[in-house]
Amino acid sequence: MEDPAFWHRLQFAFTITYHYLFPQLTMGLAPLIVAWKWRGLKTGNPQYNDAARFWARILGLTYALGVVTGVPMEFQFGTNWAGFSRYAGGVIGQTLAMEGMFAFFLESAFIGALIYGEKKLGPRNHFLASIGVAVGSWLSGYFILTTNAFMQYPAGFAVGDDGALRLENVRAYLLNPWAWIQFAHNQVAALVTGSFVVAAVGAFYTLRGVHREQGGLYLRWGTTVALVASLLVAFPTGDQQAKMVARHQEVSLAAMEGRFESGPMAPITLIGQPNVAEKRLDNPIKLPGVLSFLAYGTFHSNVRGLDAFPQDVWPTDIPLLYYSFHVMAGLGSLFGLLMGLAFLQRLRGRLETSRPLLWALMLAFPFPYIANTAGWLTAELGRQPWLVFGLFRTENGISTVVSPGTTLFTLIGFAGLYLVMGLVYLYLIGREISQGPEAAHG
Amino acid sequence: MADLWYAILCVMLVGFAVLDGFTIGAGALHLLAARPGAERREVVAAIGPLWSWHEVWLIAAGGVLFVAFPKVLAASFAGYYLALMMLLWCLILRGMALEVGGHVDDPMWRTFWDAVLGLSSVVLAILLGAALGNVVRGVPLGPDGSFSMALFSNFRTTGNVGLLDWYTLSTAVFTLVALSAHGATYLAYRATGAVHERSVTFARALWAGVGALLPVITIESWVVRPDLFIGMAGRPLAWVAILLVIGGTAAVFTGIRTGAFGRATAGSAAFLAGLLGAAAVSVYPVLLYPTLPGGEALTVENASSGRYGLGVAIFWWPVAMAATLLYAWVVIRWYRGAGSREQGAGR
Repeated sequence: MEDPAFWHRLQFAFTITYHYLFPQLTMGLAPLIVAWKWRGLKTGNPQYNDAARFWARILGLTYALGVVTGVPMEFQFGTNWAGFSRYAGGVIGQTLAMEGMFAFFLESAFIGALIYGEKKLGPRNHFLASIGVAVGSWLSGYFILTTNAFMQYPAGFAVGDDGALRLENVRAYLLNPWAWIQFAHNQVAALVTGSFVVAAVGAFYTLRGVHREQGGLYLRWGTTVALVASLLVAFPTGDQQAKMVARHQEVSLAAMEGRFESGPMAPITLIGQPNVAEKRLDNPIKLPGVLSFLAYGTFHSNVRGLDAFPQDVWPTDIPLLYYSFHVMAGLGSLFGLLMGLAFLQRLRGRLETSRPLLWALMLAFPFPYIANTAGWLTAELGRQPWLVFGLFRTENGISTVVSPGTTLFTLIGFAGLYLVMGLVYLYLIGREISQGPEAAHG
Repeated sequence: MADLWYAILCVMLVGFAVLDGFTIGAGALHLLAARPGAERREVVAAIGPLWSWHEVWLIAAGGVLFVAFPKVLAASFAGYYLALMMLLWCLILRGMALEVGGHVDDPMWRTFWDAVLGLSSVVLAILLGAALGNVVRGVPLGPDGSFSMALFSNFRTTGNVGLLDWYTLSTAVFTLVALSAHGATYLAYRATGAVHERSVTFARALWAGVGALLPVITIESWVVRPDLFIGMAGRPLAWVAILLVIGGTAAVFTGIRTGAFGRATAGSAAFLAGLLGAAAVSVYPVLLYPTLPGGEALTVENASSGRYGLGVAIFWWPVAMAATLLYAWVVIRWYRGAGSREQGAGR
């Protein structure tokens, strides 16, 4: 209990990790629903509308959980991170306010129309409602990622007389290059989640031999979108993101790779355990030169290790950071392989008959959630020990008036409430899936 | 510039209170106004589709507070820590109840979520009312511009105060009654059949309650902060707000008497907006008032962010607000147009 910052960090990390389980599915499903509504409108084939209706119900539940778990996120800037709000509120307040004003109002106005309004609205307006929801959800992603990008790579600010930051250049702030790359990477990662979930339900129906047509549609669309998104999440977006880190957060890159010593021909680590006490990587398997190439474009580039930096700017949880990064990157590669295999089977006309593949597709859907979570852990642990990189240390950001015991109490409260909500959510989603797309008629 | 942002913040908060007030009031009342089953589903249908749009007004108000007065956000949110956490948990439970309550067609499932909706709405009204009382009464600000506050201390309104004291408890009760009256009026307007009948009865009783409590609250506020009333007389906006209260009251009473529930609902919204507007005008320019001797108030001037940032936001805010109202108008029109068509076809 001695370190109050630890409890504030834990509560924020827990509530944001839990919260983001929902928006990643919302943002991943929304474009698919738009595409189905569009196809339905163009072709008149009712299959597309049935698919859109079924997934809009899942989207609605997921959106609701996203809203109720999202409100605490905005509040916690003030309740738990008052020091940070005083310091940077004049800058990051802009995008947090924009998120509410531009994105949430749009999304929340149309979500009810999308879920309940199909009959009342008619096909054209219902299609427009789906666009409203999709644009709203992606816009809110952009504003949040701009906020995060400022914490990773501050831009467009000045330091005021009282030591707090103020906005100086709104263009530089909103068009932060870090934000664009992170947004692209994050949104295709959300598409990975959405498409894997769609493919998993398709595989489930196909294995069961129920809802044949809908199941086949989900399988085809899910695996195709998943293949494209899995490739895009690695290249170019993931690659660019890593280059961004290499350029502006060298110390984080060193920690992500468990690289304790500087030098040229830097290898990429496939497997290994960082040993911070001994300052070395145990039992590694490495590919020489690849890290130099990926980070700076040539095999001979020098990649600085942790030894090049004073220990007080090292990320605070190096092993967790290292493992998160490797879990994300490893899973991302497997996603490409699995969906590549599904694509091959589809070309051979065996997508719906290859039972082992269907089992794999059905059971694969949790892993994009893990990869997304690991990716965010990489981004946020890599930023430590800073709250605003290079400017403001995390321990200075907390609310000093809130005692660790109080934070622990509310953390336990959130944990209990979120456990119950998760159970209710899974029960209802499971129920929707087992009742099937036909039940969504009505 | 900072003054303008104070006005915008108040507009957002009033928007939240009026709109989410419908949801909270109807939610708090529905256990009494509607019988389990079809009647309660009618209530949820009246508030359901737009509940998250209403709640977004609070999120957007939080955003405006963040962009314009980050020091106030930092001081007050950390200071009200436990109260805000309770508010968050109630908002979570309320949202869950509205969203998942209708998903399973089972009487026990529905009864459970109806109860969650009712209880969380009552607690929300009480917490929001106490928060309003706290803004008027003040908080134990320290010299560094922050404070920490117990849920209650000695129930006095000066010195080392807690969240709840005799005054904030009164504002909490008043808010519960007023929001219930607001919700009852809305249900009388939107619902049909038995729910409509009962809502009219409740609206009559609750508005009588509001009428009886309003003078009490006014006198209590005078006792707690006499300076507010002295300043108020010289502020024209305060008179506008009071006219809004009077006009709203008149519309509510004539509307309920003549069965024009649309007018009564609008009047109810005007009443709440006027009351909150009067409070906002009278506490200006102080955002957080100190109750401890020597404490320094956080004001519109000393707590606002930089001029450039406020200037940037004043460009995009009206655009966003106009877009927001446009979405709402479009969605309501879609529903309206379809509703009348459907009714026509049914007959």
